[in-house]
Amino acid sequence: MRSKDKSVVAKGNGFTLGRREFLGLMAGTAAVASMAGPSALLAKVKDNGGTLRVGAAANPSSMDPATGGSGSDHVFLFPVFATLVDWEYDTLKAIPGLAKSWEYPDPQTLVLNIREGVTFHDGTTLDAEAVKFNLDRNRTDPRSNIRADLASVESVEVSAPYQVKLNLKAPDTSLPLVLSDRAGMMVSPSAIKKFGEDSDRNPVGAGPMKFVEWNDGDSITLERNPDYWKNERPLVDGITFRIITDSSTRLRSVMSGQNDLAYQLEGRQKPLIERGGSVEGVSGSTVYCFQIYLNHSKGPLSNVKVRQALNYAIDREALVRASMHGAGEPAYMNLPSSHWAYDADVAKLYPYDPDKARQLLTEAGYPDGIDLDMRGYNDQGSVQRQEILMAMLKDVGIRGRFKTGTISDMSAAYFARGEGDFLVSAWTGRPDPSLTYALLYAGDSYFNAGKVEPPEGLMDAIRASRSTNDIEERKKAFSTVQRIVMENALVVPLAFRQDIMAHTDKVNNLQTNLLGKPKFEHVYLES
Amino acid sequence: MMSRTKQLMLLNRLVQAIPIMILATFLVFSLLQLVPGDVAITIAGENASEKRIQEIRELYGLNQPFLVQYGNWLVNAVQGDFGESLLSGEPVLETISRVFPNTLFIVAYAVLLSVVIGVPLGIMASSRPNSKLDGAIMGASSLGVAVPNFWLGMVLVSLFALTWNWFPATGFTSPGESFTSAIWFATLPAIALCTNGIAEVARQLRSSLVEIHSSQHVRTLHAKGLSPGAILWKHGLKNVSVNLLTVISLLFNKALAATVVVETVFAIPGMGNTIVKAVLEGDFPVVQGAVLAMVITVILVNLVTDLLYTVLDPRIQQV
Repeated sequence: MRSKDKSVVAKGNGFTLGRREFLGLMAGTAAVASMAGPSALLAKVKDNGGTLRVGAAANPSSMDPATGGSGSDHVFLFPVFATLVDWEYDTLKAIPGLAKSWEYPDPQTLVLNIREGVTFHDGTTLDAEAVKFNLDRNRTDPRSNIRADLASVESVEVSAPYQVKLNLKAPDTSLPLVLSDRAGMMVSPSAIKKFGEDSDRNPVGAGPMKFVEWNDGDSITLERNPDYWKNERPLVDGITFRIITDSSTRLRSVMSGQNDLAYQLEGRQKPLIERGGSVEGVSGSTVYCFQIYLNHSKGPLSNVKVRQALNYAIDREALVRASMHGAGEPAYMNLPSSHWAYDADVAKLYPYDPDKARQLLTEAGYPDGIDLDMRGYNDQGSVQRQEILMAMLKDVGIRGRFKTGTISDMSAAYFARGEGDFLVSAWTGRPDPSLTYALLYAGDSYFNAGKVEPPEGLMDAIRASRSTNDIEERKKAFSTVQRIVMENALVVPLAFRQDIMAHTDKVNNLQTNLLGKPKFEHVYLES
Repeated sequence: MMSRTKQLMLLNRLVQAIPIMILATFLVFSLLQLVPGDVAITIAGENASEKRIQEIRELYGLNQPFLVQYGNWLVNAVQGDFGESLLSGEPVLETISRVFPNTLFIVAYAVLLSVVIGVPLGIMASSRPNSKLDGAIMGASSLGVAVPNFWLGMVLVSLFALTWNWFPATGFTSPGESFTSAIWFATLPAIALCTNGIAEVARQLRSSLVEIHSSQHVRTLHAKGLSPGAILWKHGLKNVSVNLLTVISLLFNKALAATVVVETVFAIPGMGNTIVKAVLEGDFPVVQGAVLAMVITVILVNLVTDLLYTVLDPRIQQV
């Protein structure tokens, strides 16, 4: 535990300095200190300690990154497990993490240089051996849910004490971002050996927070890792997550002060947050995309003009206003506008144009419109979206009835058994876009419900995006991918979900990120 | 200590409890098969492949016939092994011993409030039947029976937690940790739970007391000069105590069921929340364990009630 002297302050010029800034000033040369004006001091992060109390949206499926499966786990995993690669919050561009650098000496080899001097929470050294242990476990252990993420890896070698070499089956430059997610979360090898299957409940990582306790469906407690390798972090003494699945209750817990912040709130709660006195809101776009999956192996949807008509028929702006209370971004392709690989030209392909949609239907040989077997989910939000979509589609002559069910049932019926013509659902997003595109459109992919071979050039373009590590060239390759997908209308993107968080005025520097899975590493507390 | 008949009764009850427990867990297990959704899909994670889901089914034995699965569970449970959550891996016994006391605390608090408030109301109403006071109390108690817990919970939160900040809106402290804090957290949920109880206690007590007050032996007691207080205490309440006990034990069982909703509104880590979550996810070891714990509790409450009957009214010699 840290002693109470964290509140030692030095006052001057009306600014309060935390202990770290104060010590920093003392340690720095007098010249630097005198040059660093108040603004420089303010720009520095504050370390006031305190415990951050978070209203969390779901109980984790596991605290072991390899065996868990839910996208809602990351919020608990990120503080405990440092990842080999990090990303920029706004663009999801890869930046160094535990791997201080990486390079592709040839397209089928990825070399990671591991930061030295990092230890896991149990004192185990994080070196190349530990990284190899993790990567091998993630790609081969029968309990691992992320074997597919590392499918392109042929073998992992320790090429130096702090360097690992990944030999690849095919060129794959999506790997760095893959290693920013579960696959790159490093778990202490000694802890895995010690706990075995119980590692699900005994996470030992090298992140800013150490795991203390997990009470199912109730709370998760973390405390500061005093030996964290990033400068001046963590900024809080600990994080307590209270699991509150109901979003209204979650917001109330912040409004009445039992929690400092709550995430994954809903658009309809925005007015409440904005009205609520001491409570403030933060929101931002994510890669989580509501979309209509199309089975283009059969019926009218096998005709590209019909699929294009669907895309023209939907007024996405109106959909965002009506079904998300404006808290969303209209989607014209599979990436949101702030993403590094976004292509503004592709986004212009399908403006709302009902006349054009009718004309395309006529050209396709359906002057009287078509009837579709529509599928969707039965929760309140989904039903509302589906009703709006039905009205818009009916307007251009696309009729049909929705058959709805639970997420797991409907997904199994549509994707695995090929039932229905389309499914209104969502894509949760992947750190690297090439994963998104391959998983959604490859001929043998689970999410390609009709198992239709993708249009010519699509797989080549996806491969091209993986064979260069130059971000501008990758961007170009993704533009081609996106153009092929949207010109062939393989999907009807609808809207990107916003991550909406509410916090008390004690919480500072809270930011959303494009992945939509909150990280709290920059947050500090100050009233 | 205990008479032979009582011992026999106790033994008899315990023997009866075993088939009840087996039947209840079997019924719940069967019903779980009807709940849409597949726990293997949940375990496999978002966007998992069919192959991975099949692997999970085999890994967790979910591909076995339903009777085999139940049989396995039962054999282990008899040996005291209730398994672990399929999803999070927390041992079921640990989950229950963590959350059940919270639920019991709130239920006990609510029942206590029902009695402490309901009994005086019932006595007041019965003291002058058909007076204005009686009408007001009975009217209010009709309302109390009709008001839904979750709605009242919301109203209480928005007034006492969000507007006036007297009580916390969410959360819970275990009484073992800090009793005062536990009371502070549990007050709003207990109030939301106890309105039905107050109303029921008041109505039952009133009707029983009115009946007794109009009986001939009470008229005799009046005639012999006994004070109204003494009549109420020595003869009235003593006579209705068995009725009251029945009401209270039913209340306890009802409140136990109502916690499902109240725990969600107040984000309390209790049994109701646990069961709902486990049912939705198809996490059957947790559902089975929780149901068993509830069934045992209800059986125990009924048993204690029956034992108390014999204490309150020695004429009862139930076997």
